[in-house]
Amino acid sequence: MCKPANIFFLFGVLIFASCKVDPKIIEPLPVSGLVEVVPEGWPLPKYTFSVNTLSEEKFALGRALFYEPMLSADNSVSCGSCHQQFAAFANADHAVSHGINDLVGTRNSPGIFNLAWHPYFMHDGGINHIEVQPLGPITNTLEMGADINPVIVKLQASSRYRDLFKKAYGSDTVNTQKMFRAMAQFMGLMYSYNSKYDYYKRQENNETLSDAELRGYNLFISKCSSCHTEPLFSDFAFRNNGLPVNVFVKDSGRAHITGLPGDRYKFKTPSLRNIAKTAPYMHDGRFTTLQQCLDHYTKGVTNLTNLDPLLQNNGLQLSANDKQDIIAFLQTLTDYKFLGDKRFSDPNF
Amino acid sequence: MKNIIKFISIILLTVFISCKKDTKDPEPVPEPMPVTPTSGTLKIEFEHMFDTVEFNLGQNYKTANGDTVKANMLKYYISNIVLTKNDNTTYADPNGYHLLDVSDPASTILDIPNIPIGSYKSLSFILGVDSASNCSGAQTGALDPAKGMFWNWSTGYIMFKLEGTSPQSGSSTKTLTYHAGGFGGANKVQRNFNFNFATTTSNITGNNSPYIHLSVDVNEFFKNPATINVATQYFLMSAGATAKMYADNYADMINFEHVHN
Repeated sequence: MCKPANIFFLFGVLIFASCKVDPKIIEPLPVSGLVEVVPEGWPLPKYTFSVNTLSEEKFALGRALFYEPMLSADNSVSCGSCHQQFAAFANADHAVSHGINDLVGTRNSPGIFNLAWHPYFMHDGGINHIEVQPLGPITNTLEMGADINPVIVKLQASSRYRDLFKKAYGSDTVNTQKMFRAMAQFMGLMYSYNSKYDYYKRQENNETLSDAELRGYNLFISKCSSCHTEPLFSDFAFRNNGLPVNVFVKDSGRAHITGLPGDRYKFKTPSLRNIAKTAPYMHDGRFTTLQQCLDHYTKGVTNLTNLDPLLQNNGLQLSANDKQDIIAFLQTLTDYKFLGDKRFSDPNF
Repeated sequence: MKNIIKFISIILLTVFISCKKDTKDPEPVPEPMPVTPTSGTLKIEFEHMFDTVEFNLGQNYKTANGDTVKANMLKYYISNIVLTKNDNTTYADPNGYHLLDVSDPASTILDIPNIPIGSYKSLSFILGVDSASNCSGAQTGALDPAKGMFWNWSTGYIMFKLEGTSPQSGSSTKTLTYHAGGFGGANKVQRNFNFNFATTTSNITGNNSPYIHLSVDVNEFFKNPATINVATQYFLMSAGATAKMYADNYADMINFEHVHN
């Protein structure tokens, strides 16, 4: 249906090649001179900035908008409310998103990083492009609850935003395209590829994994990686991982988008990067610890409609020690440089 | 021809001189050339009907099923307009996408500029927005999501939007809500239209104001092949088989009437 742009192949290759020679390029991006990065060994991203030319000013506008409560109906909720940097831009301690008027959503707020590689967005994959993704939560009545036109009016009326738009685009006229492309720069440049695991894989900093972490990695490769595929730790497929259906929400997942019975209760495989920081877990945030997640895969898989073939026959077979090792490995996927990168923090503080 | 040049030159010179006030060194007057137009503008007018009578928002009409319907909104996209000359060369409208809104009469007459002069024998376009533009992120102009013709939760344009009321509607509020979308594969609701002008060609001379008159029969949305019964069929807000059924209905709602040169 949609063909991913591949015209930046050469560009990607150049970056990729330069990654190999110059390890500095994989340091956190400098504050000035925003660049696209394809970390060593990664596929080319789906989203490049070919049409949406990168600039400091657009990035700054996108950053301001990401943390802007005016994007919600009553100026109380910003994107950053449910996407917190210390939680890898997931929402700490919230099973599901908490919107305007104390309304409660139906799904867990996912972490935000490496979005340029995502073929689609949301747990059900309903949104097909990073630039139109913000429309989902902004207009969701349980989240930011806004209509887009009043949001444009509010931004247009703000001298701060007129200034930011003018700096970014040369004109202070606000429109959705300028707004969403700026946000796509801010979110699209949230690269996370500097975890302990990454240093180990790239053989940098003399990084080593402990025995437990290595055992966990090997178990991960044999038990988990067919869905949580390296290096992004997701295959981006839609799968039913055997969670019992929440009878109050009855979230049909991917079927909500496709209308196909074969997609019922399937959700997009989430990345496991930064997983130690993005609790609670699963599409509805029903588990609070990684231990609970692994226990689900060994003891809790429910054989309902469309259970993923890889989880048939009672899920995964893992001993208690195996689980401890896998959790030790998952902890190596935390990218502390990303979590502390000032360029992505709230500019108002 | 030379006389015309002289005549125009003299007039322009006179105008120039008479306007001159303090300028000391009048620039030489550019030689005006009589220009043979190489292109012209065509208007395509969409006249909305219900069967044989004029269609207006806020008025009652009887559908094929016998339901009384009153629309308060009718909007749809027309895109990829292509004109074909007698020699089979074609001209594609560079503006691409037009959002027709019956509440805004100006939007129902499309201006297609810069058409090379010549005699045109046919017109084709898509009702809806092609797949590529449904996958290209944040668009602007007629495709700006702020136009209210875009699904935020399941990306894609609403190609055709009809809202209104009916005493027979099965909805508790007696409303009718039809948002048809779905851009790819089995769910496609874009429909192609292709009109041959038969005996009269549309002549673009650059000096005329030609237009093509099309009629849009809103009742076709409610019939042929599927006769819509608003008691049960009063709501559509997603892509899929139901949207496709409505699209098959509106696939023949636009008809060619005549050409004016």
